[in-house]
Amino acid sequence: MAVKKIKTIYDVLCPFCGTLCDDLEVDIADNKVVEVRNACQIGTKKFYSSNPNEHRYETPMIKKNGKLERASWEEAIDKAADILANAKRPLLYGFSSTECEAQSKGVELAEILGGVLDNTASVCHGPSLLAKQDVGQPGATLGEFKNRADLVIFWGSNPVHAHPRHLSRYSEFVRGYFRKDGRNDRYIVVVDPRNTHTAQIADLYIQVNPSEDYELLNAIRAVLRGVELDEKEVSGVSMEKIKELVNTMKTCSYGVIFFGMGLTQSLSHHRNIDAAICLTRELNDHTKFSIIPMRGHYNVAGANQVFTWNTGYAYSIDFSRGYARYNPGEFSSVEVLLKDQVDASLIVASDPASNFPAASVKNLFKHPLIVIDPHESPTTVYADIVLPAAIAGIEAEGTAYRMDNVPLRLRKVKDAPGECLTDKIILEKLIEKVKEKRGE
Amino acid sequence: MSLDNLILLTGRTIDQGVALEGGKTTKENVRAAAICMFDTDDFKKLDTLVGTPVKIITDHGEVIVYSILSEEGPHPGIIFIPMGPWANQLVNPDSQSCGTPTYKGMKAKVEVVKSGKVLDALDLIKTLKEA
Repeated sequence: MAVKKIKTIYDVLCPFCGTLCDDLEVDIADNKVVEVRNACQIGTKKFYSSNPNEHRYETPMIKKNGKLERASWEEAIDKAADILANAKRPLLYGFSSTECEAQSKGVELAEILGGVLDNTASVCHGPSLLAKQDVGQPGATLGEFKNRADLVIFWGSNPVHAHPRHLSRYSEFVRGYFRKDGRNDRYIVVVDPRNTHTAQIADLYIQVNPSEDYELLNAIRAVLRGVELDEKEVSGVSMEKIKELVNTMKTCSYGVIFFGMGLTQSLSHHRNIDAAICLTRELNDHTKFSIIPMRGHYNVAGANQVFTWNTGYAYSIDFSRGYARYNPGEFSSVEVLLKDQVDASLIVASDPASNFPAASVKNLFKHPLIVIDPHESPTTVYADIVLPAAIAGIEAEGTAYRMDNVPLRLRKVKDAPGECLTDKIILEKLIEKVKEKRGE
Repeated sequence: MSLDNLILLTGRTIDQGVALEGGKTTKENVRAAAICMFDTDDFKKLDTLVGTPVKIITDHGEVIVYSILSEEGPHPGIIFIPMGPWANQLVNPDSQSCGTPTYKGMKAKVEVVKSGKVLDALDLIKTLKEA
């Protein structure tokens, strides 16, 4: 048997989570991924799953007689453009798992169609963006935290599971310029209702009652200001522990709070983040402190950037009056679906059928559904049209923004299988066809 | 047997992340995300074997998933289901007008089910499509 020639590509970016690791090495033979080094379990799996397999779409698919059947690009684009051009108020959702150039094409299409434009921030760090708009955000880039932070607080986030290499690259084990002894030079605090795997390797674990983070944050702010609270405990945390935490915060030389879904998806939503940001601001009277959201999708930060350059708003944007309007409580995808206020959907690189609450998913399927996605998912299987995409960051180049809003260039390591096109080209084809149908 | 007054949390697990990248319609995804993690002491009260299917009920819906002991305990009174279609049958779609649903902190009830099947992702979503 002939030995296959293996090509190694270095410094590859991982298109999975917001940590956006940029030190991967990928071996390619025969246009297939044969080895991935340095990535976490999830990133490795993503690279391998780009190889041809039974879950990958390689040609456009159109639903005929209740079943998805292969179709030509011309037919699929024509039919998709028909649906979109005839919809009164289509929803364009997803965009966080693709590159910035494709995202800007999505904005263009939404504006032409007069639709609702949204990205996955609306089900994850949307409240963080609302809070940032309310009270600002004292932040920094991940390199600063790596080199300087001696107090690292994970609040409602579990990076061992959700951002597996964050701890070894930026926040816990890594050696930094002023943190030469790595883990030993940092004090790690975890605030979470569950004793997570991240908490199990922390120096201080604070078990807060579920949905009571707001009270705890404000108790910490009060103690920081020297107020004696007439309580034995707040949110299930004893006053001694709160005082210990405040003392640790005040006496560190550089602290950082990494917060996750524990704050954004629980009852108080953006009010939690408001309180956490105000606490961070007040801590800067004593020492240096920053706060940063642990962004989920690798380019959700990019989606917020691109949408903001183009429309002025980061997510949940409505173009139905011909200009951009912003009100997440009214225009977020989950809300417009829940109230059944859209009459067609175009989903780009996302799986809302799996990730939205059941009541919203029911309405998603009531109207025509077009999906641009490389892989089979509960959304694509029940869609009317599936447009097969090259995987951005593996089969297409582009720009992505890390969780700290640093833009990095994604690499292409292999060609896409079959007839797959990049998200950007597919969206350009749709824009062209929609304009043609409208006689523009 | 059943348990009342539990709090349901949902979120990412690394197994669920790996499974979804491997194929959202696979059995691997069912094993990774169609599970409910219990505090060890809570689970004893259910008086059943680990792995037995359980029905989780909230004000917003119900779903049958496999039971499993939590590695991230103790967390008495709290159950955890990885994010995904199973968890999303139970979460609160209300966003209190901020756009983001309340995926964490629902009041939940658990029942051990004698009959009843854990559906795979496609069959589960099909029930919503046909509803």
